[in-house]
Amino acid sequence: MTQTPAIPPPPGPLPDPVLGAAVTDAAGEVHTARTLSDAEAPTEHEVLRVENLSVEFPTDDGVVRAVRDVSYTLREREVLSIVGESGSGKSVSSMALLGLLPRSARVSGRVLYRGRDLLEMRQKELRSLRGRRISMVFQDPMTALNPVHTVGDQLAEAVRAHSLVPPRKALERAREMLDLVGIPQAAQRLRSYPHEFSGGMRQRVMIAMAIINDPDVIIADEPTTALDVTVQAQILEKLLEVKDTVNAAILLITHDLGVVAGLAHRVLVMYAGRPVEIGGTDDVFYRTRMPYTAGLLGSTPSMTSERRERLRPILGTPPSLINLPRGCPFSPRCPLADATCRSAEPELVEVDGPDSGHLAACHHSDRLVDVADPTTFFRNGGTR
Amino acid sequence: MTTHHDAPPPDPEDGTTAPGHPDPDAAAGLNIAARTQWQLVRSRFFRHRAALLGMVLLAGVVLLSFTSIGFGPVPGWWDKSPSATGPLTDGGDPTLSLVPRFLGGAGLALGEHPFGQDNVGKDYFALTMRGTQVSLTVAFLVGIVATVVATVIGACAGYFRGWTEAVLMRLTDVLIAIPLLAIAAAAAKIAGQAGIVYLGVVLGLVTWTQTARLVRGSVLSLREKEFVEAARSVGTSSVRIIFKHILPNTVGVIIVSVTLAIAAAVLLESALSFLGMGVQPPDTSLGRLITDYRSAMGTRPWLFYWPGLFIILIALSVNFIGDGLRDAFDPRQNRVRD
Amino acid sequence: MLVFIARRLVVSVFVLFAATFVMFVLATNTGDPLADLRELPENAREAAMAERIERMRLNLPVYSRYFLWLGGALTGDFGVNRQGQDVNVLLTDAVSATMQLVVAATLLAIIIGIAIGVVSALRQYSGFDHSVTFGAFVAFSLPIFWVGVLLKQYGAIEFNNWLAQPAIPPLVIAVVALLAGLAWSSLVVGDRRTRIIAFAGAAAATAGILTFVSVTRWFTDPGLGPVVVAVSAFGAAVGFSVLISGPSPNRPMYAALASAAVGTVMYFALSPVLADPSLAVIGGLALATVAVCVALGYGIGGVLYRREAVATALWTGLFTGGVIFVDRMLRSFASYSSSMQGRPISTVGARTPNYQGTFWELSLDSAGHLALPTLALILVSLATYTRYSRASMLEVMNQDYVRTARAKGLPERTVMTRHALRNGLIPITTLAAYDFGTVIGGAVVTETVFGWRAMGHLLLTGLNEADPAPVMAFFVVAGGAIVLFNMVADITYAYLDPRIRLS
Repeated sequence: MTQTPAIPPPPGPLPDPVLGAAVTDAAGEVHTARTLSDAEAPTEHEVLRVENLSVEFPTDDGVVRAVRDVSYTLREREVLSIVGESGSGKSVSSMALLGLLPRSARVSGRVLYRGRDLLEMRQKELRSLRGRRISMVFQDPMTALNPVHTVGDQLAEAVRAHSLVPPRKALERAREMLDLVGIPQAAQRLRSYPHEFSGGMRQRVMIAMAIINDPDVIIADEPTTALDVTVQAQILEKLLEVKDTVNAAILLITHDLGVVAGLAHRVLVMYAGRPVEIGGTDDVFYRTRMPYTAGLLGSTPSMTSERRERLRPILGTPPSLINLPRGCPFSPRCPLADATCRSAEPELVEVDGPDSGHLAACHHSDRLVDVADPTTFFRNGGTR
Repeated sequence: MTTHHDAPPPDPEDGTTAPGHPDPDAAAGLNIAARTQWQLVRSRFFRHRAALLGMVLLAGVVLLSFTSIGFGPVPGWWDKSPSATGPLTDGGDPTLSLVPRFLGGAGLALGEHPFGQDNVGKDYFALTMRGTQVSLTVAFLVGIVATVVATVIGACAGYFRGWTEAVLMRLTDVLIAIPLLAIAAAAAKIAGQAGIVYLGVVLGLVTWTQTARLVRGSVLSLREKEFVEAARSVGTSSVRIIFKHILPNTVGVIIVSVTLAIAAAVLLESALSFLGMGVQPPDTSLGRLITDYRSAMGTRPWLFYWPGLFIILIALSVNFIGDGLRDAFDPRQNRVRD
Repeated sequence: MLVFIARRLVVSVFVLFAATFVMFVLATNTGDPLADLRELPENAREAAMAERIERMRLNLPVYSRYFLWLGGALTGDFGVNRQGQDVNVLLTDAVSATMQLVVAATLLAIIIGIAIGVVSALRQYSGFDHSVTFGAFVAFSLPIFWVGVLLKQYGAIEFNNWLAQPAIPPLVIAVVALLAGLAWSSLVVGDRRTRIIAFAGAAAATAGILTFVSVTRWFTDPGLGPVVVAVSAFGAAVGFSVLISGPSPNRPMYAALASAAVGTVMYFALSPVLADPSLAVIGGLALATVAVCVALGYGIGGVLYRREAVATALWTGLFTGGVIFVDRMLRSFASYSSSMQGRPISTVGARTPNYQGTFWELSLDSAGHLALPTLALILVSLATYTRYSRASMLEVMNQDYVRTARAKGLPERTVMTRHALRNGLIPITTLAAYDFGTVIGGAVVTETVFGWRAMGHLLLTGLNEADPAPVMAFFVVAGGAIVLFNMVADITYAYLDPRIRLS
């Protein structure tokens, strides 16, 4: 049973963009972080188009439907953020783009990079794109670098995988990149092993590796999740900076809405393997049309808020991807859910009129239109 | 299959938690009927086909050897004794036939001497069964003794640290530095005359070292866990902490090493008996039978094959069981299914 | 790091001392050292017993005997055995015999085991993988003495009989060809069509070779001949290049082909030198091969491919050298076999007593004696290495850095060798080092089955006669090896893993 909330309170606090304010780094140096508004705007050219991407894993217990029917586009120099909880399929969907999933994964749909379908490509062709046109920054820099090779070797290897250059030239290029991502004494650090770097420095190395071949698209898979909070901002800022250096688009995967706000042009929210809301960052944040997005916003703490508001968490856990509930997968946790929600899964449809580019998958998205702060649906834990 | 613990493949998501822990009940918003660790272990074990086959084979061998010729005062259903000599029939050829009549064989039949006879007419089936009994008994004794010693030493070393640990682990190092076969041969030579029970116990006393190291490692990590801290903070005695809180959590390590120790012990005992250091005549064991009849390889090969076959059968089935148990207790190892 | 090693060393020495005491006490209690003398006629008994009591210091308590032994052992004197023979002499012979046996067997087991384990991991859940896993379990469960006796029967006695008339029955050819086909088809990746082609190709090739061997009675006078040598040299060149630098023709492949060509030319050019060389000549040739191949690789590889080219050229060169060596040995087979009355595979001992012959014939004699015990030893440790390297590879292949390597756009071959294998081998190397230590003491059963008078003989006679001197000599070498190689294992681990090396 669902209650229509009474008159909504004034808009609640929205999460602060991490990059919004000046950041004091470890050395005590204050520097103003660049935000998206400083970065170069996206062009009209599509660089990546994902159509109806689905990923399934057969397991002993049944088929895990990790990603269902994901479609989006990415334009040159654009930052698109995919947001969702653990298990929402955001990482799997990005890994599927480059064919980096385990062999057991069944991937369907189309992934068009400048018109060529990556999923149909031969291994050799796909390999020549990986790290060259589309590169990745992984979540955990502690494990993403090979412990037995020097950082220089690992960077130079990325260069030599795509062009015939002598080892010395490749190392020189690696040094330039380390300089660019702000690693001091880059020439010496080339000979260091990954374990001699701190987490933040390793993530800088990963960024250097991602841009070393001037890619068009950088897929950053939770690039700051494993880092100290103080380092997170620096890394994100660096990511934005190098994006402009190499003119790349970024697919930023994160569970942290705070990261998204200052960084992404557009946002795609995923739940249970499926996109539930997609649109411009402001649309999604200020004109939320899907209760799940509202729930996410409500469970993000804010520091700027004058009033000490309580967080409004979403109760329950995400559904099993083996046994998806009937109807809308969010319905067991949704304060607005009714019989319709429990019987039919909503389509992803335009919610702010045609061509707004703002889509949501909710039977009751219109009910969020009139509410100034939809996070209040989750007041009292969103009890049913 | 209904277990939901070896969840989907290698954490396809985020690397933090398995994606949406596929809990069908939780998904439906219902309460999950909690399953105990034992139920999980059991269901994983029974999914391991080789381990099941090993169980059946081992049970078969144990039943066959102990019921056929009986043991102690208990008589068996086989009418010949391992020590009685008799007239040689057909040169002592085995009379066991497994080829059905319609394929030109003699049909399924045991015959007078299914495993044949040796050169003085002893029934080789009865002899093999006696050898199997002895080998099994010794192997199980070794497994149990070695595990008990290893558990006590490993647990004490891991829990008390300090001097206790230093002394116990150096003791373990000393034993490890001695080649297993040398110390086992010497020990068996000393204990072999005293009978198979002594042999089993003594071999157990020299083969516990690796298990002790494993138990210590696992205790070392457990003693830092919160529940042990909690028990200590309310003044629970060390002995009680070890037995009530720590050992139950190392049970996986221990059970798996018991099985692997038994498999190794079957081979060790037969090797020692083969070298003349283990079971002494008039008693026999599978290894002893092979050494006694190895010169007959050219003339009566069955005297050589049967005991070997039974050694392999026992060791293989115990190894399979061990593998199944390891998977059941530690699903991490084969979680990836691709 | 050095401090760590030094500390380990000190602890190890103390552990070893303690272990010698335990072993000494056990060895003195295995029976009555005078048992055989008690059977003597009355008149001789007293004197004989007195003499032995004197020699074995049986009138002293055990600990005094231990310290007397220890004093001697520390100065390198292992005393005399019950019969008064110098144990040092016995030990020298025993160690050299055992080393001959275990070094080759362990090296082969490591190489083959790792190869099978790695392939098995790369083809996880394939037919090949399942067969290997099952095979390893069977091998774990085999009593080695039983296998040894089987090998003597079929590998030596029956095989020698067969050599008199070396024709292979068609049924055997068919079965072997079928198995070869199955093995290859389970290894290839691809659809049903590829598998069928692999199956048919492998089966046909195997059947062809076996038929040729059978029809020409190849075994009566074996040898590879220039054609086979050349074909395998160039085949190896291509194979190593594909493995190391990829399938497209490039500089490393040219270097390898050049090295194969040089090898083939040398096959003819060195013919006179190779007629009856000395060990020094063979060693010199091996060094020359390395030098020439490195030079070829260095020159041909150029700036871009130097490292790969040196590797391909070197491996190809060494392989070709090995093939030429085997060819030479095989060509002496007929004369060796006839001097052995047509029974070249031996079941007893390390060499034919008093046998004189050319370098190749003596090598064959060693090989004929080593073949079966080596096979028996390999069988068991092979299973261990296969299981370990498979598990280690599977673990490593799921690491994040392997995914990173793929995301960089490296070819799968480089991902697997430079990133997965390089890391996966670290624990295996440690295991191998440790294993080398135990194998000296672990070959006792095999030595006994094949009648080698080696370390096992020392141990067993010592135990049977309650004679501690030979037992302790065995122990000092075998236990010392365990302690030493345990340390080697730690050091290699530290060397291979920079995380430990640099901390």
